Amino acid sequence: MESVPLRGSVLLRSLGRSLGVLIAVAVGTTLAPSDGEAVPGFARQTGLSCQACHTIFPELTPFGRQFKLNAYVFTNIKQVQAISEQSQRTLALTEFPPFSVQLQASNTTLGKSLPDTGAVADLSQKNETEFPQAISLFYTGKISDNLGAFLQLTWNPSPNAVGIDNSDLRFADHGGFDWLGMTDFIYGITLNNNPTSQDVWNSTPAWGYPFLGSNVAVPPVAKVLLDGQLAQESVGLGGYLYLFNHLYAEVSGYRSAQTTFTNGTTGGPGPLDSAAPLRRISNEAAPYWRVAWEQDWGNHALSFGTYGIWAATHPTGIGESGPRDTITDVALDTQYQYIGDDHLFSLAGTWIHEDRKFNNLAEVVHTHNLLDTGRITGSYFYKRKIGGSVQYFSTTGSQDPILYLAGTPVLGSRTGTPDNKGVVLELDFLPWLNTKLGVQYTLYTEFAGNSHNYDGFGRHASDNNTLFVFVWTAF
Amino acid sequence: MKAKAVYAAIAALALTTGIAQGADKSAALDLIRRECSTCHGARGVSVSPMFPNLAGQQPGYLEAQLKAFRDRSRADPHAQAFMWGMAAQLTDSVISDIAAFFASQPPAPGTAAEAAEIAAGRKIFEEGIATQHVPACQSCHGLKAVGAGPFPRLAGQHRSYLERQLEAFAANLRANEIMHENSKNLTALQISQVAAFLSSQ
Repeated sequence: MESVPLRGSVLLRSLGRSLGVLIAVAVGTTLAPSDGEAVPGFARQTGLSCQACHTIFPELTPFGRQFKLNAYVFTNIKQVQAISEQSQRTLALTEFPPFSVQLQASNTTLGKSLPDTGAVADLSQKNETEFPQAISLFYTGKISDNLGAFLQLTWNPSPNAVGIDNSDLRFADHGGFDWLGMTDFIYGITLNNNPTSQDVWNSTPAWGYPFLGSNVAVPPVAKVLLDGQLAQESVGLGGYLYLFNHLYAEVSGYRSAQTTFTNGTTGGPGPLDSAAPLRRISNEAAPYWRVAWEQDWGNHALSFGTYGIWAATHPTGIGESGPRDTITDVALDTQYQYIGDDHLFSLAGTWIHEDRKFNNLAEVVHTHNLLDTGRITGSYFYKRKIGGSVQYFSTTGSQDPILYLAGTPVLGSRTGTPDNKGVVLELDFLPWLNTKLGVQYTLYTEFAGNSHNYDGFGRHASDNNTLFVFVWTAF
Repeated sequence: MKAKAVYAAIAALALTTGIAQGADKSAALDLIRRECSTCHGARGVSVSPMFPNLAGQQPGYLEAQLKAFRDRSRADPHAQAFMWGMAAQLTDSVISDIAAFFASQPPAPGTAAEAAEIAAGRKIFEEGIATQHVPACQSCHGLKAVGAGPFPRLAGQHRSYLERQLEAFAANLRANEIMHENSKNLTALQISQVAAFLSSQ
């Protein structure tokens, strides 16, 4: 659900600053693919109930992490098979394809409606209902003995198009170095379109809380690269190892999608489009790394780790031979889970530090600036039926009037500061394991650097507070 | 880092691990390594008390349970959620190999509990509770609770797992006429005590 406002912010500059356009873009760019999934196709393939892999969807249990690390191949459906003359299996297809459907519908109420421009009056409502907010088709599961996929197509109401959502094609197998005392480990290769979507912990951005959010809320402009900015607009190839049943290590390389490509799900221009901004990766492959340790005991699971990316990017309107900006994200994360029969408790946190070096003064006032994002989320559920979550979030960084749109209503900061702080409160009821009814409230104590009149046009941080009521089901 | 270096690293990783792969192993051992071990531990000693220890368990009991999961006659909540799927495609010979593997592993050591609980639980295990028509557990499960044939080993099992099974027998969630009769008159405290004793053995 994470939005793509930084791209939007640059769009704003390239499109001019008429308020109507601005709001259209603001709302349009908050549209983002649905983020969290609990996929019944997996249940159909494995014969296991949701709770084998999920505490409360989409958060994974230790078994769910293993299932993903093993490339989603575990199956209990009869196979259509073929073997070679050397008795090697050359085909293993499940008799019934593991398809499933996901439906999300919601109602959003803003603290205060967006300014009414007349031109786009329908976008300036305080209250929006979306049915559906998103509808997705999945193929999730085994392709052959060591190859599996998590493929998702999502339709979004705006731009009223079907696009590629989070997707992961994965190979995995087991190996062993008996002479090292390491009798069994997992190794794998992942091809995916969103850095951190391949991760198996829910403390990293792609599968982190909030799992679902409003399409039509006002998005903060300041976002670090790994916080959804490359989601569905990049392609990454990586290799990973899972050693001693504790240690995960991965190296991947990410590239941007093709020139003039329009993503039907996010509705944004393609990253290599000349109108596209900052996000366009211009090194051949931006290296992404991930190391994490998991320790389980009794009903408890604890993990901690680090991840990051180094990307050279081309700024707005600069061709491939032009000057590059460099963006480096370094992050820490941790997750604790207590998984009991009656009580489930989780704590997940991450902190991402971004170092940005710009080469183009049309883009920024200060060529070197920093941005830090931190989030910590606690959640509790009783008997997998009823529960809730509380998140504290904070983004802080260097002041820059161009980058943070000083002089722009709604999205911009009158002081040119990126800071956003607040909490997300959520109550959920799950009448069935695959259906979640939720009420979520996002409360900003600070938006675009200020709590009062943050944009210089009289809008307060609390005007962007968002009440989001949703139903989310997959079947 | 350049892209070529990244791809080279990935290729090298795939190569070295590919070489490290062992030769053919039996279907059962492969299943144990890839699937069973995820919840029950590589050698049948599980981390989470949600999942029972299988190491040192009676092979006859393991076989009977896997077949009961496969034909869905064992239908307590965790059996349905986890084991119905797991066992759905197992053949009799694979079931037999899995049972033999876990039976041959050294059992989990006992875990500590309060002395008073253990003493009370031991009394129930050894003598039963005549006034509540509860027979001595050891008459079927053996003097040291190691089980025999279809009667499972209970010694060293997770305490909360044992508690949940006794509750499931009492409520007929796990269908077993003998264990239903034996457990239906136990109080929550008595269940807790006998589980404490058994998990400490």
